[in-house]
Amino acid sequence: MSVLAWFIANWSAVLIPLAVFTVALIAMFWLRRRGRVWLFRWVRRTKWQADSILVAALDGPSLMWCLILSALLALMVSSVLAEWKDAAVKVLWTLFLASIALSVVNVLSGLVGFYGPRIKLPTRSVLLLQNVARILIIAIAFLIALDIWGVPTTPLLFLIGVGILAALFGFRDAVPNLVAGFQLGASQLIRAGDYIKLETGEEGYVTDVNWRTTRILALDQSTIIVPNSRLVQGRVVNYGRPLKKAAAPFRFNSRTHLTELTGMKASNLKELADLLRQVPDSVIYYHTHHFFEEHHQLTPELSNDFAIWASDALGEDVLGESLASIDTFAFPNMAALRDRLIGIIEDYSSKQLYPRQAMEGRAFYFMKSVSVVLPSRYVVHDLREFVEALRKITPGSLYFHMFESRLRLGQGRNDFSIWLDENLGDKELADEVAHLDPYTYTLEGLRSALIQLIEKRIK
Amino acid sequence: MGRGTIEELRLLGGRLYGKVIQNINSTFTGGGVAEILSRMVPLLGELGVDARWSVIKGDDEFFQVTKKFHNALHGRSESIGPADFEIYIENSRRNIAEMELYGDVIFVHDPQPVALVSKKKELGRNWIWRCHIDVSRPNQDVWRFLEAFVVQYDAAVFSAPAFSPMLPVRQFLIAPSIDPVSDKNRDLPQSVVNSVAEKYGVPLDKPVITQVSRFDYLKDPIGVIEAFRLVRKSINCRLVFAGGTATDDPESDKVLAEVKERAENDPDIHILLVPPGSDIDINALQRVSTIILQKSLGEGFGLTVSEALWKAKPVVASAVGGIPLQIRNRVTGLLSHGIEGTAYAIRQLLSNPEYARRLGENGREHVRRNFLITRHLRDYLLLFLAIGRAEDIIYL
Repeated sequence: MSVLAWFIANWSAVLIPLAVFTVALIAMFWLRRRGRVWLFRWVRRTKWQADSILVAALDGPSLMWCLILSALLALMVSSVLAEWKDAAVKVLWTLFLASIALSVVNVLSGLVGFYGPRIKLPTRSVLLLQNVARILIIAIAFLIALDIWGVPTTPLLFLIGVGILAALFGFRDAVPNLVAGFQLGASQLIRAGDYIKLETGEEGYVTDVNWRTTRILALDQSTIIVPNSRLVQGRVVNYGRPLKKAAAPFRFNSRTHLTELTGMKASNLKELADLLRQVPDSVIYYHTHHFFEEHHQLTPELSNDFAIWASDALGEDVLGESLASIDTFAFPNMAALRDRLIGIIEDYSSKQLYPRQAMEGRAFYFMKSVSVVLPSRYVVHDLREFVEALRKITPGSLYFHMFESRLRLGQGRNDFSIWLDENLGDKELADEVAHLDPYTYTLEGLRSALIQLIEKRIK
Repeated sequence: MGRGTIEELRLLGGRLYGKVIQNINSTFTGGGVAEILSRMVPLLGELGVDARWSVIKGDDEFFQVTKKFHNALHGRSESIGPADFEIYIENSRRNIAEMELYGDVIFVHDPQPVALVSKKKELGRNWIWRCHIDVSRPNQDVWRFLEAFVVQYDAAVFSAPAFSPMLPVRQFLIAPSIDPVSDKNRDLPQSVVNSVAEKYGVPLDKPVITQVSRFDYLKDPIGVIEAFRLVRKSINCRLVFAGGTATDDPESDKVLAEVKERAENDPDIHILLVPPGSDIDINALQRVSTIILQKSLGEGFGLTVSEALWKAKPVVASAVGGIPLQIRNRVTGLLSHGIEGTAYAIRQLLSNPEYARRLGENGREHVRRNFLITRHLRDYLLLFLAIGRAEDIIYL
């Protein structure tokens, strides 16, 4: 029989599948076109930077999917031998599977290639991850293909399962951090340069977010390495981008002191005034300031040792009140304060008809303070770091920068105010801090007042 | 104590790295000095400071003389003649010859070893004399004798401002301290407290008034018994006098015998000789007490007062030595000046338990802020760093 005769006898067996194939292909192409239009619109709308990877991975293979699905439909309506049809369906499903696998491989490789560098994944790790993804997808596709062709896959699946479990066990610590690294990279919630504070107390500027860990530069200039999973699971306060940097950092000092005895003592007001003229500044400083440091937990009383002694040991309450009401903050240096003390005592003594003598053991013992100043571990470069360090420094450190630097070192202003003005260029805030009268607060109250001022400024 | 305090101590300790601090006193056991050193030396070690502890040697004759010196420096009348000074000098000469003096800082405690400084010219180094006793009203003969040695030191340290005489050397004020986690001061389970009271045969059926101190005339044990008898006329209570002896105090046996005699087998008076090292027993006896006394005639500092205050106990104590630094009258306890005054103060507290409780709580807070070992450690570290530097502001 000639071909023509065969075709005339069996035209429907050829033309119907061909027609089905053609119609299905046209329909598929139309669907694909609609799908691509929708996809490109979505790409334009979304801010997701990796969308192009998805588009590229789907665009080429979708042509093949149209052809394969159309051929499958045509095959179903054809009247070829059952064995041939069965084999052809398997071939087509295998091709379809291979094409899907190829697309998934492209998407995963693309995503890893896109996000890997963004979360500081080394190039080798990116390649490794891409290869792992490829192998995994190809293995899954291969297993499905075996199933399509009727080959038993259970033992193979079991082996693969065991292998995966072993791998997960081996990398059980790394996996959560890796996943968290991807999350951080994708969400951009924490980026290099942000100031963050963890619930466990660590804080500082983020210097690096890589695939396993995040590095934080703490206020004491140490580097804290935090596993990414902790950042994702725990509570993290992110203060955002760095503030204006100072021209030079502020280095907090820690200050403590030793009390030195002078062996000098006064038993009446004349002796007190005479000795006040002779003693060094450090003695005047001690007796007008040690209360603020040693009893910093108490509500500040406007008191100094001279006032207390005049009232308690001599019973001179009026003089005690005059001495207690001296506004230490108003004096720019120790010499002026000394003159004022002597002036008040002598003025009062000149009006006394019967000078009083302290009982034995109740004399005024002159002492002085020897300050020992040590660099603390806190070094700050901007207001955010400054305010966080303020929360942590010892009362002695706060005392040194607010009290001692102003009066004892004769700077006229406290250290904080000088730094804010000269190194941070914030004169307004510097003036506010300079006008804060530290003598009217407890040390903790003073700390709170400073923190409030600076927090307000940051906002 | 906060993290900042510990950081500060470590920082200061680090600045003394490589230096040896040699503490020297007269006994390893008994008395406040040995107790402070037994805590201080290991803690300094933990802060990286190489602190060591040596004791001078001395026979009974020497310690009898130093005991007389001790009493005389506290202002008690003592018969001290040239022979006593000779005994002291002879014993000191032997110690100077035999003792190894190796510290970069040689830290000498109290009058017994003060003469070791005679070797300063030969050795150099920094020498500090730590005076733990009240020398505000000393016997002038004894003070002048010791002063000749004291002035050779680079610095002297006193426990209270009133103890500071005019000296041509620098003087520092460092109050002693207690260790809150030591056996003597840590919290104890009630069962332990009760079992100690039972062990010493002290029934807890009525208020207990306790004085813990060595059997020493300066602690006025007879005055304590007399004050107690005045109180008992109107309030039913017990007295516990718990004390030990020290190897450098040959007088204690005599005092103990006298105290027992004055107690006259009174069932409400418990004279307890507590062996050395029985710190938990002392702790428990303080904790079972309703009121704690320190009726001393003279005191260096009177650490037992801080111990009692730390246990939030109302304290009645004499206004001597360093006690007024620990007790602000009517704020952290009651100060008294005699037997009648002591009895009156005890009656006030027994009759007003709420007032007594408030004083006890204030006292504990006062000790927490000023008389714990962390403050003491810091002061010693600063002293070792400041010695040899004349500035008022030292930058490290």
